Amino acid sequence: MSFAQVYGAATLGINGALVTVEVDIANGLPGLDIVGLPDAAVKESKERVRAAIKNAGFEFPVRRVTVNLAPADMRKDGSGLDLPIALGVLAASGQVGPAACGRGVFVGELSLEGRLRGIAGILPMAMDIAARDMEAVFVAPDNAQEALAAGRLTVYAPATLAATVAHLRGEAPLAPAVRGPLPTPPVAADDDMAEVQGQVVAKRALEIAAAGGHNVLMVGPPGTGKTMLARRLPSILPPLTDAEGLEVTRIYSIAGLLRAGSGLVTARPFRNPHHTVSDAGMVGGGRVPRPGEATLSHHGVLFLDELPEFPRQVLEVLRQPMEDGAVTISRVNASLSYPAKFMLVAAMNPCPCGYWGDASRQCGCSPGDIRRYLKKISGPLLDRIDICIAVPRLEYKEIAGEAAAEPSAAIRARVTAARAEQQKRLGRYGLGANAQMGHHHVKATCPLTDEARDLLQQAFQRLNLSARGYDRVLKVARTIADLAGEESIGAQAVAEAIHLRNSVKESMF
Amino acid sequence: MDRKRTGDAGEQAAAAHLRAAGYAVLAVKYRARTGEVDIVAADGDTLAFVEVKARRSGDYGTPAEAVTRRKQGRIMATALCYVKQHGLYDKPLRFDVVEVLFADGKAKINHIINAFGR
Repeated sequence: MSFAQVYGAATLGINGALVTVEVDIANGLPGLDIVGLPDAAVKESKERVRAAIKNAGFEFPVRRVTVNLAPADMRKDGSGLDLPIALGVLAASGQVGPAACGRGVFVGELSLEGRLRGIAGILPMAMDIAARDMEAVFVAPDNAQEALAAGRLTVYAPATLAATVAHLRGEAPLAPAVRGPLPTPPVAADDDMAEVQGQVVAKRALEIAAAGGHNVLMVGPPGTGKTMLARRLPSILPPLTDAEGLEVTRIYSIAGLLRAGSGLVTARPFRNPHHTVSDAGMVGGGRVPRPGEATLSHHGVLFLDELPEFPRQVLEVLRQPMEDGAVTISRVNASLSYPAKFMLVAAMNPCPCGYWGDASRQCGCSPGDIRRYLKKISGPLLDRIDICIAVPRLEYKEIAGEAAAEPSAAIRARVTAARAEQQKRLGRYGLGANAQMGHHHVKATCPLTDEARDLLQQAFQRLNLSARGYDRVLKVARTIADLAGEESIGAQAVAEAIHLRNSVKESMF
Repeated sequence: MDRKRTGDAGEQAAAAHLRAAGYAVLAVKYRARTGEVDIVAADGDTLAFVEVKARRSGDYGTPAEAVTRRKQGRIMATALCYVKQHGLYDKPLRFDVVEVLFADGKAKINHIINAFGR
């Protein structure tokens, strides 16, 4: 037997793809050739496979070995093909029965010693494998929990190449891996809203934002708690649903950000990229595209502290994902779409020195300075921010006050209830929160009282709202009504939504 | 001994070693346009192309280290000429290095099988 075929897997965007590894052994100049668009990491697997086979106690054939990775037109990256290539070589040289590999899929990097190492992107691969007629998947022990999260698959987690071969030969069958205990959600003791004294208005705004998934901009002088509030936002967001958790885990798996040995991601992502981030870092990119911060914040919070310090280009590329909930990256190699349904939370000072409009300190900026500073945030971006609030300096009695603030758990309960309402209403459109509604959804699901309609009409004329602005006001009003448990949207909800959208923007920009 | 004599003595010692190990020596100093192969031998069904490196002292590194990538390429090209000339297309090929170290009037031999590691 000088030919063998083994199944492996690779990733393509955020999806997994089955790769057929074909190995042929022929006479001629000894050597190992890999064809089928391998990238650098796959080419290097030559040396790892050779050493691993030798050190695991097998023989690397002194023949002309040709490895083909099919489909041949898909670029394969990563080191996960080491294991199927090694098994292919062993099967083609008769050291493993070729039928033994059968309908198993093998994914893992090999050490020179012959041990299996975990790789990134196991979950999407396992999900793809589960959707096909495959029997089992073999992964490194580090990846076992992640592979199990895909469900409906028998997962084996051999520690070494030798153990894999022993299993395939039937000498020492492996026991299927079992699901470990779910990682306990981190106790957010030091991240509770109760620690933020005062700022009742800001907290109410964040509650509304959390309930509907709306974008928020907080403006205020340094040290008033903008960053502190934003960091506590995840503690009042509703818990991830299973489906959302799976999506988030997929993304983190591809990005290689999952902790080894962990299964599903259970906490909402909170990303706070530094303002030196590049536009490719923000939305994803690179020659072989990788997800960016916008995608890593999927179903979570993207927090941009010191918003005007971000390069304009970086902020502008966020406009499309904010509208569509996805990023499409086109490169020569591939055109990929990454999900990016995030909640944008931004914080900024009102002027370069930070004290414009502050009662207690003089602002040292000239009107020109301030205009230049604020101009860094474009109209289109601002138009996509539904809630814009001031976070003012607190009075002494507010800071020192003994009045205990409301803990996150209480706020989260209200937010979760409001989200449940939304899901009941929007579930059939495949949406999860009010902020994701399109124009026709708004029309269908936002009944106004007569009073509210009149108010909205007046406001529309007086405030020069854009068409998008109109929809966005309605979406926030919908969320406010949901928090209050009201079926149709009243004048009060509309008034609050208009206030949240416009009062700070009007006075500043 | 001069350098040529060292080399020739090394090749004779290597050939004797290979015969003793059960190889059939098919050609010595096989030359083609691309270069030279010191010994062509048959190890069962496998054709082994053997580069012999002889030294009188180990002071300048092991002899096998002197077989550079470029030299390997030349030997492989020459091996293909041999295969073509003799019509041996369906044989497995292998490249070995035999180190011969002359010390204290004796030849110490080290046979490295599949030395090019390709």
